[in-house]
Amino acid sequence: MQSRAGARVMWIYLGTGIAIFALMTLAGILLRAAQAGWIPVDPGTFYSILSLHGVGMIVAMAIAGLGTLWYLVRREMDLDERIAYLAYGFFIAGVVSAIISVVPGRYGSLWTMLYPLPFVGTYWPSWATGAWLIGNALVMLGFMLWCAQILGALLEKYGGVRGMLAIDYVFAKRAFTEAGRKPPPPAMFAAAITAFDGFITGTVGLVIGTALLVHLIDPSVAIDPLWAKNLTYLFGHSIANLTMYMAVAGVYVGLPMCTKRAYHTSPQLAVAWWATLLFVIIAYFHHLYMDFAQMQWMQFVGEIASYLAAIPVVVVTVYGGVMLVHRSGMRWSLGSMFLYGGMIGWVVGGIGAVLDATIPANIDLHNTLWVPAHFHTYLLEGVLLFTLGWAFVNLEQRADTVSSLMLRWLVGLGMFGGGALFVFSFYIAGAAGVPRRYAVEPAPGPLWASVATVGAIVFFIGFAICVFEGVRLASLPKSDVTA
Amino acid sequence: MNRRLIAATILLLATIAFALAPLYRSAVDIPIPVHHVLHAVMMAGTALAGILFAGSLARERRSGAPWLLVAMFAPVFAMILMWPSEYSYFELHPYGHIAEHLGLIFLGFAAGYGGQRYANGIGWASGIGIVAMAVLGVWGYGVAPTTVAPVAATPSAPAAAAAPNVAHGSVLFTQNCAVCHGVAGAGGEGPPLKNERVRKSLTAAEAWIENPAEPMPKLYPGTLSAQDVADVAGYIEALR
Repeated sequence: MQSRAGARVMWIYLGTGIAIFALMTLAGILLRAAQAGWIPVDPGTFYSILSLHGVGMIVAMAIAGLGTLWYLVRREMDLDERIAYLAYGFFIAGVVSAIISVVPGRYGSLWTMLYPLPFVGTYWPSWATGAWLIGNALVMLGFMLWCAQILGALLEKYGGVRGMLAIDYVFAKRAFTEAGRKPPPPAMFAAAITAFDGFITGTVGLVIGTALLVHLIDPSVAIDPLWAKNLTYLFGHSIANLTMYMAVAGVYVGLPMCTKRAYHTSPQLAVAWWATLLFVIIAYFHHLYMDFAQMQWMQFVGEIASYLAAIPVVVVTVYGGVMLVHRSGMRWSLGSMFLYGGMIGWVVGGIGAVLDATIPANIDLHNTLWVPAHFHTYLLEGVLLFTLGWAFVNLEQRADTVSSLMLRWLVGLGMFGGGALFVFSFYIAGAAGVPRRYAVEPAPGPLWASVATVGAIVFFIGFAICVFEGVRLASLPKSDVTA
Repeated sequence: MNRRLIAATILLLATIAFALAPLYRSAVDIPIPVHHVLHAVMMAGTALAGILFAGSLARERRSGAPWLLVAMFAPVFAMILMWPSEYSYFELHPYGHIAEHLGLIFLGFAAGYGGQRYANGIGWASGIGIVAMAVLGVWGYGVAPTTVAPVAATPSAPAAAAAPNVAHGSVLFTQNCAVCHGVAGAGGEGPPLKNERVRKSLTAAEAWIENPAEPMPKLYPGTLSAQDVADVAGYIEALR
């Protein structure tokens, strides 16, 4: 089923995602340097850049992950690449709209655009809010197109939801295997959950986006703020979480390429993904623990859902990944290093998230830098590493070579060392109670912002070396081994 | 004739009749949440009809990327069409509202039919999506927060006062409120009050000034009379 056209789609998505990520990292460094007091940035500009940085990072990782998943699904079944390009067009149009909103428009209500923030006491013109909302709607449309295409293909290939989720395989494994049937490979679970939950997330994102746009045009149309917050976080938290589940497909296919061992679907893996499928879209309740108007049962459900969405799939995937590597004689190339390191980042970021989702801890941690600490770990040392790992495994296999030991050390020190310094500064400041989303932080915020800035700069140097190495590998002639 | 086609036709005609029903029995003053539910019912009917229509086609006639676009855009247009503005009220614009109903049932059909034409199962996803959008609207799309009404209706509602004198309210605001809320309500230590009318009605603003939450000081009764409260609230409502 694979073709050059399919690979081209993946590389366009991956390249775009990584390019946006690079720009947003520079924006992030500027923000931390401003909080450290190194660079004077007025609060209005700070919040505008913070808005762009937040949405840009999520979209960057989503685009890269969707490209990887699209390619992996295409290996199993027929997909029309025109839809992939159309979805890509929507993503780019959305990104351009968000940039217009922030750069000339100075929109600064953050990527969560929580009602009524985009409309009340603004220092930016109302058209900037409109451009922001339209940008989000365009990205959602692209995402829903992608989800519908993948969902349609998976349902057709595996004969409906039962086959797609391997329900018969789990409940009647012997009969299933004796009939000569095979469950979907692990990466298809990642695709199915992304497409299924992504469709719900996109629908909700469009509901709240449209309602806010209507309110912008006609302020007499009332919106219930609690309703808006629920929908905004269902959409925002879920899409941020799904970026991990998109990227983890690279582990299921990339690690076997490195270890020369297969990553099989097991009933445990299928059940773990079912838990994610069911709970990822309600895990967001932990963002509303302090909203007294929210119904109390939702708070408790939120805590349990947060655990069940993440823990089973992390445990099963990481255990499987570690067993795959154990005594495999795997060569530690950049690709395998990233995939393995990504699993560590996923676990560390996941522990931070689980702590935040625990009600007694949440009250102390949620409004502090602890929350950005966990999602920066999740994105930088998890999603990004899986994405780069998958890209490098392919580049290394294509050129039948690996990068030099010195270069691997440089990239490793930069991206793991700098990254660790960066995220642990967030964790420590968060534990010390430094509030998040403040342009000017109280002590000890500026001190840890200085440490974080150093970490982020070191991280970016490692990342830049890694990108240049990727370009070098891509320019090498295709090896006869893989040709 | 194909049984699915017959069922789809009956369902479609029943939904159209349901959408046109208000013309015969002028159902007025239906609350917006109920309206969203009725729209969801209409779209559920036609989405199902669309799925059945597509299912009645021979399998090889299905699929095609353009149908996916139809299925994906239908819910977005439906959400815009459900705009709960004054133009949605049947008693003010009966024919406009019926046209809106017809638009919604068309879009429901497009979601179900387009999705199923693209791939088996996608019609259900987009059909459920379009209905879910209308149902989600029940709790907040065009619906003011439930906490506002009780505030306005509390026993401590402001004493009767004449119509607000906005100019006098401006003077009182500068003397008592601007130190925290900024000049002309631009914001400062306290929240900005521009466009406050979007969040609070005049009555709600008056009730708030009379019984504020900490740290806002309670100036009534004492510094401000009932008429003063009305004037300041009137001024705040006028802030843009």
